[in-house]
Amino acid sequence: MDFLSFLGDNLATFWTYTAFANFTWGHVIMILVGLAFIYLAVAKVFEPMLLIPIGFGILIGNIPFKDAGLQLGIYEQGSVLNILYQGVTSGWYPPLIFLGIGAMTDFSALISNPKLMLIGAAAQFGIFGAYIIALTMGFEPNQAAAIGIIGGADGPTAIFLSSKLAPNLMGAIAISAYSYMALVPVIQPPIMRLLTTKKERVIRMKPPRVVSQTEKVLFPIFGLLLTCFLVPSGLPLLGMLFFGNLLKESGVTRRLAETARGPMIDIVTMLLGITVGASTQATQFLTWDSVKIFGLGAGSFVIATAAGVLFVKLFNLFLKKGNKINPLIGNAGVSAVPDSARISQVVGLEYDSSNYLLMHAMGPNVAGVIGSAVAAGVLLGFLG
Amino acid sequence: MKYKILILVFLCAAIGIQAQRTTSLRFNEILVINEDNYEDDYGNKYPWIEIYNSSPGTVNMAGCYLTNDINNPKLYMVPKGDVLTKISPRQHVLFWADNRPSRGTFHLNFTLDSIKPNFIALFDSDGRTLIDSVTVPAGQRPDVSYGLIEDGWTLKRLDEEIRLNPLYKGGNQLWIYFDDHVNDGRYVTPSSNNKILDTNDKIENFKENDSKGIGMTLTAMGVVFIALILLYLIFKLIGNTAIGLSHRRAMKASGITKEEAKGVVGQSGDVYAAIAMAIYEATELHDEENTILTIKNTARNYSPWSSKIYTLRETPIKK
Repeated sequence: MDFLSFLGDNLATFWTYTAFANFTWGHVIMILVGLAFIYLAVAKVFEPMLLIPIGFGILIGNIPFKDAGLQLGIYEQGSVLNILYQGVTSGWYPPLIFLGIGAMTDFSALISNPKLMLIGAAAQFGIFGAYIIALTMGFEPNQAAAIGIIGGADGPTAIFLSSKLAPNLMGAIAISAYSYMALVPVIQPPIMRLLTTKKERVIRMKPPRVVSQTEKVLFPIFGLLLTCFLVPSGLPLLGMLFFGNLLKESGVTRRLAETARGPMIDIVTMLLGITVGASTQATQFLTWDSVKIFGLGAGSFVIATAAGVLFVKLFNLFLKKGNKINPLIGNAGVSAVPDSARISQVVGLEYDSSNYLLMHAMGPNVAGVIGSAVAAGVLLGFLG
Repeated sequence: MKYKILILVFLCAAIGIQAQRTTSLRFNEILVINEDNYEDDYGNKYPWIEIYNSSPGTVNMAGCYLTNDINNPKLYMVPKGDVLTKISPRQHVLFWADNRPSRGTFHLNFTLDSIKPNFIALFDSDGRTLIDSVTVPAGQRPDVSYGLIEDGWTLKRLDEEIRLNPLYKGGNQLWIYFDDHVNDGRYVTPSSNNKILDTNDKIENFKENDSKGIGMTLTAMGVVFIALILLYLIFKLIGNTAIGLSHRRAMKASGITKEEAKGVVGQSGDVYAAIAMAIYEATELHDEENTILTIKNTARNYSPWSSKIYTLRETPIKK
């Protein structure tokens, strides 16, 4: 009899440790969100390299357990997930991602037509539009800045800035940024169509000229010196971006460039995605602030896209006939590389089946990466 | 010559590294007459000296010397082998001037004079390099400490702040008195920051003067545009130069003059395509084997990890 009661007590204790005994509706909601991410990635191929790790991370982070000091959860110091999460909280995954992005990005389109850089600058209005709205909604300036950076459409930059300015909102900001980056094909085309005329959508741009090796090598060097002398607080991101690009373009560090744009960025992307996902524990994540951040994130993407398209239309007023820019590449000023450039191409082809805008759109697209990193540096300098 | 430049670069780097070490230590706050202030681990109240690590890296002050006699710089050596002598970035350690070094690492072998001025100095482990020194004026009051207006500041740093920061309201004195009985927000703070940061001035300033965010938007967008306009201008210039050079090279290679080139340069891509097609049609010498596509498996029997070519570094070009 004693033995049976011992077994019964043990089973009852074991039950208290299971997820079934500890789950809340919040956990269920978050698990559904995680499953939705995985569905979007697998069935719709929306940013699978981001949404699969994040979606699965959400599942990992929302399996409830009894807090018995077993070092399991991402917020428990010393747990495996917590150690991996340090790369997010301390902000050293984003610069490593930027190193890889630099090593895989071809800036030729931008170098051959440098005026496209200005579109990348204009699209950063999305960041500050969301900043203004967030302030009116009652967020503190540092929180508003961290939320606004979602409009840069750059996940690593969003994580980097929020880890410095508003660490408590980082999970929601990261998830929001990556979600909307995945939804670029849904968000951007209607805005592009709304703000352009049929005539503007079929503008043909001059083919980009061939860029010499010297120009490609000079770009990361001048890029770093000019941007970081102006905004030293952008150094971790811009420094790594341009370093990666120099590895690629120098022509003498092929192995390093291949590692940076291959295995290294893959490893960091996996760790970043899974830990960001796991950081969305329902108890920490399901708040009104998270809902507001999602709303603001959507708004910032809309503003950024509209600002890019409208800026091109404005710019065209000052350009000679034959040098005009197709406003459908304005959306690419947000730095979701290369998705937003691909959207320019797809929408452009709908109206002229032989007008290929991809190479032109890559210019503002990579300028957007630089622009959002500079904007993050400015915000960090002012509010950090 | 090249090696000399290399050595110079390494020396400069070494000096830079040194700057992150003991040279970042500063006397931060000193209490000469301790009547009712901080107690040591033995429950005694003695004068104390707070040292601050102003660098962003951990500094180990083991082996450094503290003294109150300029002629005897090696009066008290901070013992080696105590992990507590490692000072975390922007943190403090406290030494007791109780003349009881047997009580532990942080108990000095000298005291401070409550009547005369007190000179104290910190020397590096060579016993010759002065890291920091301060003379605490005579006439110190009980339980009133003498410290830097902001942790780790120097005169240069204070001057910069006064010159560049219009929001700075701290006055022009580097060393000030901290008295718990005067309600000016300056408290005696052993082993803690002299200036207690309970708000972020930058954020407060934005909340007060730019509650709508318009100022931030204009400023930040201005900076983003300036950064990218600068890049645009530089690469416009570089691009024009590159185009000019490639034209010149092409003209030289084909032996045509500038005047002759004018007729060729500036044609559209369609014209070039038509010319290329015409040349192809006119000079078609190959038979049909040229259009046969061959698909053949390629075997890669080596791995980059085992290849000597991959693992060896290239020899530097010495020209």
